[in-house]
Amino acid sequence: MRIFHKTSFDFIRFRKIAYVFSLVILASGLISLAVKGLNYGIDFRGGSEVLIRFEKNIDVSTVRTVLDAAGVSGSLKQYGLDRSFLFSTVFNGQTSDLKSLVSHALNDRLKGNHHEIVRVDAVGPSIASDLKWSALKALLASLLAILLYVGFRFELKFATAGVIAIFHDILTVLGLFSILGGLFDFMPLEMDQSIIAAFLTIAGYSITDTVVVYDRIRERIRGQKQSDYERIFNESMNQTLSRTIITSGTVLLSVLVLFIFAGPAIRGFAFAVFIGILIGTYSSIFVAAPLVYDWLRLAKSPVHLRGSKVS
Amino acid sequence: MKNKRFNLLLIAVVTLVAAWSLWPTWRDYSLSNQLNSIKSAPDSLKYLLSNRDEIENARKKSLKLGLDLKGGMHLVMEVDQVDLFEQKAWNKDAKFTAIMKAVREKASQSDAKVIDLISAEFKGENMRLSRYFYDIRNSDQEIVAKLEKESEDALNRAKEIIRNRIDQYGVAEPVITTQGSRKLIIELPGVSDENRVRNLLKGTAKLEFRLLRDPEILVRTLDRINTYLVQNSGVPKTSLVAGNSVAVSGKLKSLTPSVSMQTSAKPLYDLIGVFQNGSAYTTEHSKELVVSLLHRSDILALLPQDTELLLAAKPEIGKSGEKLYPIYLVRKSPELTGGVITEAKATFGSQGVQPEVLMAMNSEGTAKWARITGANIGKRIAIVLDGAVYSAPVVQSKIPSGNSVINGIESLEEAKDLEIVLKAGALPAPVRIIEERSVGPSLGADYIRAGVLSLAWAFCAVSIFMLVYYKKAGIAADIALVLNIVIVLSVLAGFNASLSLPGIAGIVLTIGMAVDANVLIYERIREELDGGKALKSAIELGYDRAFSSILDSHVTTLSAAFLLYTYGIGPIQGFALTLMIGTAASLFTSIVVTKEIFSFLLGRNLMTQKSFG
Repeated sequence: MRIFHKTSFDFIRFRKIAYVFSLVILASGLISLAVKGLNYGIDFRGGSEVLIRFEKNIDVSTVRTVLDAAGVSGSLKQYGLDRSFLFSTVFNGQTSDLKSLVSHALNDRLKGNHHEIVRVDAVGPSIASDLKWSALKALLASLLAILLYVGFRFELKFATAGVIAIFHDILTVLGLFSILGGLFDFMPLEMDQSIIAAFLTIAGYSITDTVVVYDRIRERIRGQKQSDYERIFNESMNQTLSRTIITSGTVLLSVLVLFIFAGPAIRGFAFAVFIGILIGTYSSIFVAAPLVYDWLRLAKSPVHLRGSKVS
Repeated sequence: MKNKRFNLLLIAVVTLVAAWSLWPTWRDYSLSNQLNSIKSAPDSLKYLLSNRDEIENARKKSLKLGLDLKGGMHLVMEVDQVDLFEQKAWNKDAKFTAIMKAVREKASQSDAKVIDLISAEFKGENMRLSRYFYDIRNSDQEIVAKLEKESEDALNRAKEIIRNRIDQYGVAEPVITTQGSRKLIIELPGVSDENRVRNLLKGTAKLEFRLLRDPEILVRTLDRINTYLVQNSGVPKTSLVAGNSVAVSGKLKSLTPSVSMQTSAKPLYDLIGVFQNGSAYTTEHSKELVVSLLHRSDILALLPQDTELLLAAKPEIGKSGEKLYPIYLVRKSPELTGGVITEAKATFGSQGVQPEVLMAMNSEGTAKWARITGANIGKRIAIVLDGAVYSAPVVQSKIPSGNSVINGIESLEEAKDLEIVLKAGALPAPVRIIEERSVGPSLGADYIRAGVLSLAWAFCAVSIFMLVYYKKAGIAADIALVLNIVIVLSVLAGFNASLSLPGIAGIVLTIGMAVDANVLIYERIREELDGGKALKSAIELGYDRAFSSILDSHVTTLSAAFLLYTYGIGPIQGFALTLMIGTAASLFTSIVVTKEIFSFLLGRNLMTQKSFG
């Protein structure tokens, strides 16, 4: 079976439209980040969370009223789709008190519907800031590592464009998290450690497709005239289009499985990676390679690519 | 030819090692299945006994499940370094207390090192550390280095003591590690009584024997505090605060007595009652208030020199059934501390109902104890554990044997916990729980189900896609994929790492990424075939030319996963680990293994141009 066999799209000609499209998406994400901000999860915000699961169906407002009446202050949300609720409140070292308080309140007032506290998470404020810092460090370090590696394997212009594409992908996902955060019951889209893991996964993977395109450009561009660059870029992208899409496709397939089957704890992560890889595939064709093309065109100097093979 | 034989050998070795490493996991699984299939209890016991060695062996070497899958507790505890350094200081005055208070506040907000905060604070005050720490001739740097060493030692000692406590309590396979300069990470799989474990871990277990002051002095002291409060009209009415939802709603802050003031003739005696015999007590619901009152520095200044007011650990039941907490005025400097305790044993007291803990002392402690008891016959000595008075018996006679008893304990369980913490020794400084995650076994079972389901679906979806899209070549990729998953699991089992839900997510993601190398190779082969190359050379060229993109993409994914593993904490590390192993393994499986399969098929003329779809 073959999809995208012998295509001849003129990607370079459409690059300006793509730039505008990307800028609009990025801008709306950034605006939402500035106005609405992000929903921080317990990892970064600090606090206590109790996951309660009931035996029978129950309305979220009923549980909320019961907890309010018992004087347990905090917020209650539906968690996932199966009779589970996430109760979150401020952090304090006494999780056992919190647990028994919630438990007593629900036992007293909801006698017919047995509940179980299946998970307790409590994160102190110092840990939360700790986690935030190490997440940021990991993200920046990985971007730097990728910049250095691709710079070493190709050339600085290629590497920079690749890292810009990664930024583009991560910022798009971040913006989407801000825009969609809290809109869905089945995925709260909170920023937590797993989303940082998703960003690093996206960063590591987004460059994969880009490298495939770069690799082909490198193979063909050596010794060519500047005026042929447009044709070479276009042909390279078309020749690699099929593998760019199939490689992303297999990963998207497994991430989709995660999204559907792995439960609410992984859902936010799966969503982030799914969108990230989708955008990453787009950006390797419409952002990374065209940026290199424009840069080469404006710089008007021939490229010195490392590692290209002449066979 | 030589190269080819080497590759085949490598594949055989890797497969065998992986199988060998996963064998105990399989045995463990099948043995527990057999055990579950036996219905009657005596039979299953017999089976258990006759296969005990094998079962234990298999369990020890089998693939471990993470806390989230098995259920259990993950705790991060912090050693209170501010307290530790306060202990090390001498010549403490009001200035020092103020500085340390500021440091404590800053330390709770940021993750900066406490020692840095202290030296910054001292610099700001233009004071030298040697004024309070160590020798006056030491420079600031020397003191900082010494204190750093102290805190490192304290962390390691705390780790050992906590390990002792956990071992004695009996948790299977606890993992205790230190992180940074003041944190301990404790993983306790399968813990059911979280509450008890928490109490067991967080107590400092600082045991002290302190002399009680005479009742008249207590009464006089309380009078003085009362008079002071009347003059400053500063005690809240008790009924204002019913502190039952304190823990959650954060009302604790509003409890500070200065908030609501009520003039009363006897403000203190609204909270504290005094019996005829001169003993004082407070009721349960004013306890919080009394405690915060007793910690106020202006109140502390009213106490006689070298004394402290302490509350009892457990209430006594009053005439009308109310709970009364006795208040004791004790000497601040202890006569003897828990360091001399060598043995502790929980048992029932002489009447056989009240649980108590018997303690024995070492020779030095015995000698001191004999001297102290001999010199204070007729007086009371309070047995204080972590700042609460357990009992304050009257010394009847000199005790030459070095024995002592803690009573006033509610249950035998609590007595047993006391026995554990006393035997393990006191922590060098208080510890606090700053992160806690616990997963119940039912949620763990859900996670396992979700994880297995995701693995199965992802494998099916991807492998079927590869078959449909690449026909025969897809088979090779699928075989490589199976081997890849086996390698990931076997590396986890072999290195005693555990599999968590994020770890499973990492494997699922690996499934999607591992075939990427094959996609790149196969697409290249198709391209070469389209260019008119013969099958054999097309395959050669395909592997050759796709290699550079495969390497690049693997290196970037690996480095991102590696950084995630380095900076990540807890569950995220599990994800990074499986992603790393899977990506590295796929370099081998997707390239070496599939190539061998093709050369095998080519050798038997089982491949045609059509084999690549």
